[in-house]
Amino acid sequence: MKKRVLYIEDDPEIGQWVHDELERRGYAVEWLLSGEEAAERVGQADLVVLDVMLPGLDGYTVGQRLKKEAPGVPVLMLSARTSVDDKLQGLKFADDYLTKPFHPDELAARLEVLLRRYGRHEGRTIRLEHLEVSPELQTVVDGQTGEEILLTPKQLQILLYFVRNPNRILTKEQIYEAVWGDPYLEGDKSVMVHIRYLREKIERDPGNPTIIETIRGIGYRVKQ
Amino acid sequence: MRRRPRRFGLKHSLLNKYLLIVLCAIVLLPFAFPLIGILLSVQNWRSDIASDSRYRDGAKLMQMWHGEAAKLGGAAPGEIDTALRRLQADYPKLGMFWVDGAGQTRLKLPVDLDVPDSWDPSYTVQFMKERTGGPIFTVVAFIGSGRNEGFMVMQLPRTEMDPVVVAAQRNYGTIYLLGILLMLGLFLAVSLVFFLRIRRRLVRLQCAMAWPTDGGVPRTVAADRDDEIGRLEQAFNEMIRKLEASRAREAAETELRQDLIAKLSHDLRTPLTTIRGHAYSLRQEELSDRGRESLDLIDRKIGYLGQLIDNLFSYSLLSSGRYPHRPQRLDIVRLARTHFAGWYPVFEQEGFEVDTELPDSAVYWEVDPERMERVLDNYLQNVLRHARDGRYVALRVSAEADGAIEIADRGPGMQGPTASRGAGMGLSIAALMLKDMQLRADVRSGPSGTTVRIVRRPGLPASVPQGD
Repeated sequence: MKKRVLYIEDDPEIGQWVHDELERRGYAVEWLLSGEEAAERVGQADLVVLDVMLPGLDGYTVGQRLKKEAPGVPVLMLSARTSVDDKLQGLKFADDYLTKPFHPDELAARLEVLLRRYGRHEGRTIRLEHLEVSPELQTVVDGQTGEEILLTPKQLQILLYFVRNPNRILTKEQIYEAVWGDPYLEGDKSVMVHIRYLREKIERDPGNPTIIETIRGIGYRVKQ
Repeated sequence: MRRRPRRFGLKHSLLNKYLLIVLCAIVLLPFAFPLIGILLSVQNWRSDIASDSRYRDGAKLMQMWHGEAAKLGGAAPGEIDTALRRLQADYPKLGMFWVDGAGQTRLKLPVDLDVPDSWDPSYTVQFMKERTGGPIFTVVAFIGSGRNEGFMVMQLPRTEMDPVVVAAQRNYGTIYLLGILLMLGLFLAVSLVFFLRIRRRLVRLQCAMAWPTDGGVPRTVAADRDDEIGRLEQAFNEMIRKLEASRAREAAETELRQDLIAKLSHDLRTPLTTIRGHAYSLRQEELSDRGRESLDLIDRKIGYLGQLIDNLFSYSLLSSGRYPHRPQRLDIVRLARTHFAGWYPVFEQEGFEVDTELPDSAVYWEVDPERMERVLDNYLQNVLRHARDGRYVALRVSAEADGAIEIADRGPGMQGPTASRGAGMGLSIAALMLKDMQLRADVRSGPSGTTVRIVRRPGLPASVPQGD
């Protein structure tokens, strides 16, 4: 099932290229030249890519309207402007922000992250080496034995947080605040301890982990 | 259109005012002497009235003295003493004594009167000669009608007998001196007031110049007079108005320039995006290795150009003080770690050895996170672009002193062949941003690498104490 992207861009050259590029990457793209009809279309979309400088209604206004219409659909802003105020204003409602000239790989990666964060990929099973992680079923299965690996709720949440943020290095503060939902307190070792137990359950060789990678001094990363 | 300065007449001049004061002093000086004279005379005259005029008339005094002496004929020494004491009480200014028939001085009033105790004939003659026409008016009267009962003497300094005008004449020196002193004092006092008032106005003007308003332009002053200082105040106000106008013009120009750069930035980015898109599409085609290398180069240069545009825009905002600044209390260890996490994969891909040294405890600084990230970005970007040869990057945060963030590489140094171009603006931006946050970057660069150390500026309060 293709993911539907609602793409709003007034520049025909960029529009055509991004449209083709995203289609090539397996998205169903609906491209609008202005923001007027966007609100009617957003219901059918999994994701919105929005240009800031639009004729008529400007991108911010359109974005805010779309968010009101469909709060569950992630919005990525594209901008040719760089003012920091632009950035903050855009990010008040937008989920991510990319400045031109952006690289298509970067755009694709950001879209992927947004879809995961919003759970629009939930139906899919993600393979991590020998593991099969299903965010929808909240299960982790050993693909070789077919047996489910039982994790505590915190361990599962940590693993799913890594899965939602693939290839990103996550610091202990970020993990703590995402999983525990409280501000990180200085010196807390919970994240380290939980990751050690998690590794014991999921890694083939917990002494030499390959799924959850330690980036010394910075944090942890799960590559996909 | 330039207004010609008004012709400055002397009518309202301070010089005029002061000349008037001097003139008054000169004119009034001759009047001062008679004035003082009159004042003194009045005083004398009043003191004359207050005492009595009996001393003025020598004949009357003499007559009174002879009369008293005649009355004392045949009186005992005690009676004579009593009579003299009574006379002394009546005429306190008179000196008096009496000598008995044997030539012995008896009562002296007052007692320290300079007279010998005994009188022989030669001394008596000498005394009489000295006193006749001398400065002391002296009356000698025989007691009683005989010549053997002795005599009594009264004496009075002749000055006591002088009339008013004579007294005034005697005081001319004093009058002259007092007159000069009075006029001089008066003149000095008026001059002092005159200059104090000038000084007050000058100080007010100086204060207005020294304490500018929030806008950086001094406030105008009230210019209500038409003399030299008044003109100065008017000129000052005129200058302030011009300054304000020029400020407003400058702000408008900055606005215009900002707008232009923002538009330019946008207009440059749009075609850049298209170029990048097409270069990317071209990659899908069959290409030779050289073709691919060219595409890589194009892609890199597009990214670089995008950054340059961004830098231009940021620099223009920063230099006009319009770049947003929202400082807050932040743990810089966490900030550096989180931000560096984003850069790690980039360095990893380029084959860099990545080294980090971060303390376990938090270090708090009062900084704007957006700016801080931008500063780190600029330095890390610099490492990636110019220190590729060293294949090494280190991020260190130190908790010592006020804390420090350090980014080190093993590139050819800032003086190296690839360093100069492009790095300038990014580093200038970083320096400007740091300055606003009361931070400073110390750069140590040599052929074996570069270390950038971000520290708090000295002379500022130490880092925010760790709360909660």
